Amino acid sequence: MIDLIQNTLDGVMIGSSYALLALGFTLIFGTMRRLNLAYGPTIMAGAYLGTYASLRLGIGALPVALLVIVGAALVGLYVERLCFRPFGEGAVMASMISSFAVWMQIEEAATLAMPRHLNAFPPLITSAPIALGPYFFRADHLLMLIVAAVVAGLVYLALYHTRFGLGVRTVIDHRRAAELVGVPTERIMMLAFVLASSIGGIAGFLIAAGDGQITPMFGMWATTKGLIAMMLGGLGSVPGALLGGLALGVIETHAQSLFGPQVRDLIAWGLLFAVLTFWPGGLLGTRRIARAAAVQRRM
Amino acid sequence: MDDYLVGVLSNIGIISFVALSAYVLLLAGEVSFGQQAFFAIGAYAAGMASAMLRWPLAPALCLGALIGAVAAVAVGRATLRLTGLYFSMATLAFAEMVRIAFEIFTLQVDIGGSRVGPNGPDGFGDIRYLFENEITSIQYLCAIYVLLAMVLAGFFMLERSRAGRMLRQAGTDAVLAELQGVRVVRVRLIAAAAAGALAGLGGGLYAHLLTYVEPGNFNIMLGVHSLAYGLIGGLGTAFGPVLGVLIDIGLLESSRLFAGYRMIVFGGLVAVLLIVRPRGLLDERAVHRISTYVKGLFDALAARRLDRSLRRR
Repeated sequence: MIDLIQNTLDGVMIGSSYALLALGFTLIFGTMRRLNLAYGPTIMAGAYLGTYASLRLGIGALPVALLVIVGAALVGLYVERLCFRPFGEGAVMASMISSFAVWMQIEEAATLAMPRHLNAFPPLITSAPIALGPYFFRADHLLMLIVAAVVAGLVYLALYHTRFGLGVRTVIDHRRAAELVGVPTERIMMLAFVLASSIGGIAGFLIAAGDGQITPMFGMWATTKGLIAMMLGGLGSVPGALLGGLALGVIETHAQSLFGPQVRDLIAWGLLFAVLTFWPGGLLGTRRIARAAAVQRRM
Repeated sequence: MDDYLVGVLSNIGIISFVALSAYVLLLAGEVSFGQQAFFAIGAYAAGMASAMLRWPLAPALCLGALIGAVAAVAVGRATLRLTGLYFSMATLAFAEMVRIAFEIFTLQVDIGGSRVGPNGPDGFGDIRYLFENEITSIQYLCAIYVLLAMVLAGFFMLERSRAGRMLRQAGTDAVLAELQGVRVVRVRLIAAAAAGALAGLGGGLYAHLLTYVEPGNFNIMLGVHSLAYGLIGGLGTAFGPVLGVLIDIGLLESSRLFAGYRMIVFGGLVAVLLIVRPRGLLDERAVHRISTYVKGLFDALAARRLDRSLRRR
């Protein structure tokens, strides 16, 4: 029983980083209606910048965090300019493949900058785990959960209580209609893209600092985890992304402790496959899809 | 020809099969991230048939293609109702499940005193049909390209047939196609089966060429690359994906022109290319222009011949 609860708690904390990844993904997909495969590598580029600076300049954790976030935002801007801005709404495939091409670019640039497979990343907190009754909490995981909650709250505030958020929501609802009523859609989409990349940077910093290392595989890892969490929760839904991330974290932790890492990944992908085939809306997306279908029928 | 060149050419031929497999589904309007799964299934099935059951090469390759097609139909039944990103993600999830399943799958038999068969993460080695039967790498290269030529000829006929038009119709506008009596889901299912068979065949060829495969060969990178080949080379003709493979493997990987910076150059090239031509180099318009030009040449030739024969009288 204690193991069960401990694993669930660990899962929630790991899941909070997945939730952040999915949140960024969903913001990009919601506004663009196109998939950014280079999302994980964007974050990786930021993380590489951070670890490079910390190795060369010996700066502390907070400046590194700032560098990771700014780096991810800048690379995100590059991806948006090259892979999304030049295409209209129709070229879904072109954007996707183009973002994949940029993924390859970023990965190679990162390995050229730091040729070793495994690079040390400055850890954030190295204190012993906090004991609470029979349960243990790693301090950096707790921090991850808190930061995720704060970021999710801030995103909520930004989406529902600012002019920018209103713009984002109108673009998500209907891009052309938004354009017609005078929303600067291009700028809103760019800002949403950069915001999403910075959120990814925050997640990337927390994950890399928790692991104490970073490898060139991080980009693919972040893209797949973010995608699974987003699709589990429901495409383009902000609460869905958070819920999907937490669910993925909890399920993975339990699967890992029961069957080991291979079966853990098998279960994560199997779950995604089952959700997509039987319940394509995800956890929170179903109502939205049903509504869209009803609208289609009436038209 | 030296061995290196033969190796590169064989590779180009084999990867073309996966690229064509993704291309069939692109024509049907579905973006699959998962064709590498059928490539893997074909590789393991054909390899097991020839190395463990001691089948000759041809039936082993056919078995790989057949199992690839059957698996594709089974998955297609579940996933082809989905469209867009949902379909892409479902195929990716399936492909990753297949890859991890091969990481776990172990089945070895005793052949001539050694253990042969898939061995989990250590892969599947000793697929030695080519050595045992003294087939040279040049002969095998010819076999690959004969098969590829047959597939391309098949595409050429398909594009001029009713079935081919239905396929493109289903891909361009599914609702409109449905209204005109095209049963879109069925067309897509047949396309998925053909795509599975193509990938399975390629996988069988791949396993026998390398004599060794491991689950890591069939990861998401292969899937997205095979999609990208079609989009770089062009969606107007089946030569498009092959051109894409030729550009990537033939020009960039093998020439070592940009050693160390290859992906940076290639990635940037692809991104810029897609801005200029979102449906690839040989897109529908280019193909139409080329075919009109060629037709014009033939017409002019025929007219001249007619002219000459009239004058002779």
